[in-house]
Amino acid sequence: MKRDIFQAIADPTRRAIIALIAIQAMTPNAIAENFHTTRQAVSKHLRILTECELVTTEQKGREIYYLLEIEKMKEIDKWLEQYRQIWETRFKQLEDVLAKIKKQKRKK
Amino acid sequence: MKPAEVSTPSDREVLIERSFDAPVDLVWQAYTDPALMRRWLTAMPGWSMPVCEMTTDVGGKYRWRWRDNESGQEFGFTGEMLEVALHSKIVHTQIYDPGDGEFGSMGGEPSIITVTFNETNGITNVTTSIKYASKADRDAAISTGMTEGMEMSYTALDGVLAG
Repeated sequence: MKRDIFQAIADPTRRAIIALIAIQAMTPNAIAENFHTTRQAVSKHLRILTECELVTTEQKGREIYYLLEIEKMKEIDKWLEQYRQIWETRFKQLEDVLAKIKKQKRKK
Repeated sequence: MKPAEVSTPSDREVLIERSFDAPVDLVWQAYTDPALMRRWLTAMPGWSMPVCEMTTDVGGKYRWRWRDNESGQEFGFTGEMLEVALHSKIVHTQIYDPGDGEFGSMGGEPSIITVTFNETNGITNVTTSIKYASKADRDAAISTGMTEGMEMSYTALDGVLAG
């Protein structure tokens, strides 16, 4: 499940769509105007984002608007942060190890 | 020292940079001596590292394996040393070993890890480049590649939330 989301937003067009609708809810046509790809291609991206529950739709009059699921985005950020933290935790531990062997060397 | 910087120089690569307040020979030691490696390579609370085999022989194999002490679940990495230049560079392949855990397959092709060490006035800068065999592999390995796009989205989100 998590991996699906990461794959969904690893695509540059889908990232750009997310950035667009983070500012305001938009219709598929308005979104498509921002890209050089076909309307169909944009629809496909929107479908993938919807399937990953990153975006939802809202009917307003005759138009369908796409909205960003802010909570879902936060979830992803938490996940990414975990990844960053794993590296930084390791590196902090490495700093401790280095400080200790530095001391030992001086004693000799 | 400043926290690690993560960037994505290409769609198959992730680059991690970090400096350490120690001369390069000590950093090298911490990166190649299994007893020392074990002390910093485990990064998750509740996890241990039952297997930590390392070699600096070109063509030699290394094997690292972590274990969740509570569930007994294990995963690890294994690979071959491709290039070793004392105090300056280590290049090795890396294959994901899923153990019995569900950490996701990273494809059959190994990634190439390049670690470089550079000392300036007693401070050692370490860069780690992870080059995945394919874009899909990188995405599977928790795509950090989206950092840029995420920032865009988040700057936009900040605006929305502030407004």
